[in-house]
Amino acid sequence: MSERLLLAKFGHEDDLLASCKELRRHDYKIVDAFTPYAVHGLDRAMGLEPSRLTWVCFLCGMIGAIGMLIFEYWVGAISWPVDVGGKPWNSLPSNVPVAFETAVLLAGFGSVFALFGVSRLYPGKAVRPEFDRVTDDRFILVLAETDARFDPAEVKHLLRPFNLLELEERVVSAGGVPS
Amino acid sequence: MKSRDHALALVSSRLGWLAIASAIVLAVGGTMAPDRIWSNLLIVGVYAVTLALGGALFIALTYVANASWNVAFRRVPEAMAVVLAPAGVGLLAVLAARCQQYAWHPQNGEADAGTFWFKELWTNPTFWMIRAVAYIAIWLLLSRMLVAASRRQDHSQGLGFTLFNRRLSAIFLLVYAPTFALASCDWLMLLDPMWFSTIFGVYNFAGMVEATLAIMIILSIILRRRGPLRGIFTDDHLHDLGKLLLGFSCFWMYIWFSQYMLIWYTNMPEETAYYLLRTGGPWGPLMIANVALNWIIPFFTLLPRPWKRNESIMLKIAVIVLLGRWLDLYIMVFPATVGTTPMVGIWEAAGGGLAVGLFGWLFFRAFTKVPAVPSGDPLLAESLHYHC
Repeated sequence: MSERLLLAKFGHEDDLLASCKELRRHDYKIVDAFTPYAVHGLDRAMGLEPSRLTWVCFLCGMIGAIGMLIFEYWVGAISWPVDVGGKPWNSLPSNVPVAFETAVLLAGFGSVFALFGVSRLYPGKAVRPEFDRVTDDRFILVLAETDARFDPAEVKHLLRPFNLLELEERVVSAGGVPS
Repeated sequence: MKSRDHALALVSSRLGWLAIASAIVLAVGGTMAPDRIWSNLLIVGVYAVTLALGGALFIALTYVANASWNVAFRRVPEAMAVVLAPAGVGLLAVLAARCQQYAWHPQNGEADAGTFWFKELWTNPTFWMIRAVAYIAIWLLLSRMLVAASRRQDHSQGLGFTLFNRRLSAIFLLVYAPTFALASCDWLMLLDPMWFSTIFGVYNFAGMVEATLAIMIILSIILRRRGPLRGIFTDDHLHDLGKLLLGFSCFWMYIWFSQYMLIWYTNMPEETAYYLLRTGGPWGPLMIANVALNWIIPFFTLLPRPWKRNESIMLKIAVIVLLGRWLDLYIMVFPATVGTTPMVGIWEAAGGGLAVGLFGWLFFRAFTKVPAVPSGDPLLAESLHYHC
């Protein structure tokens, strides 16, 4: 399955932001935006929903902390009790540092790998589509030509006031652009 | 414009009356329960001084970091720093009036005979008082210079004052770190002269910054609701202050636990005495409440992004943190000075009222004297359009 994409290229972040809002006002669906750096307010202009990654991070952290506390209790009080300075087997304070470290570790790993998974980033993945100068000074908006109603000419007309540099149509195989 | 000033004047006068009423209650109590009144006044003094000093610290940190986001509401920490003068004088008066409350004072006999010679020297009452004056004088000088340069910038253009303040801020931070660590040991740790904790200065620093951020959140929200900062202090600023509060709340917990765990682990009598007194009996629940107010509640409530941008939720969290800061100081002071049973009553309420009323009244007085926005700062435009 392949997809027809329309790439609108700009030279300035303000043009990108303004055209995002203009296109969304006319019910065009924006697939993605590529910029050389993080543009403030782009998530809102594109109408992206709040990230769910925070929940992954929180849950992984909780699993790390509680899981490690249970494990330490099992090791120290049930499986292999060792007398350290006459402290009780189930001494909570001595378990906290490791539980804290595990929470941080799992929260970090969890969020990074969840991000990779959601955006389908894996080693050796081909870069598709390729964009020129998008890591340098170009701001690119990606639109999907999903139905017959989609009119490139109208898009061009809509975007002209925003210093549109170039409009390009591309056909890519599915999964080429992270969505 | 008129109604704005009126709205602020109303808040200010109410706080002033609260301070006067609390002061009267405390004066009456001075004859009935002098130890408790003195301990309360010590807490009020340390509370107000650290909040004011925290304002100066926040300004210095942001200058050194070349930050622009805070410029729009920088007059808030500046006005807090101005309160350092009356708060510092008040604390010095409290320290001078009841110096003998400290167990090491010669009037309390030779209880400390045989300790390390340096500690005997360090707890000489005259030297101790001179140090207290010196700390406050140095903080006052540097913080007033920071505020004065920022105010003079209103009538000028260019980077001159910004660069001056950046250099001054670096000096402030270098001076602040050792003097504040020593001051917190002098005023609070020496209440138990035989007990010591090498992390005590850092612990107080964590509590101070946490409370400073909380009061800045409250004052900025009040000023936004009542006018002067409407449209200037944005949700993005609030969001960032919330992030900092979350961070420093965790930092406080980290340092609290670092102090507790090492003493618990090594289990040496001269160190554990402090915690035995403060975790046993009725103090135990207060210790847990301290951790809950300063970390557990702020941590879980400050995690969601929408909550950090919500005015009324942030207001409540900030109040909880400020209550936690008071409880933190209460647990440091009262077991050593008043006795083994925690007592919270009218005197403590009056102490809290005095801290809130006096600090708030002095803050609004300082804030309304100068323009609400540092209009001469080159970074102001960036701050007004800040997006986080």
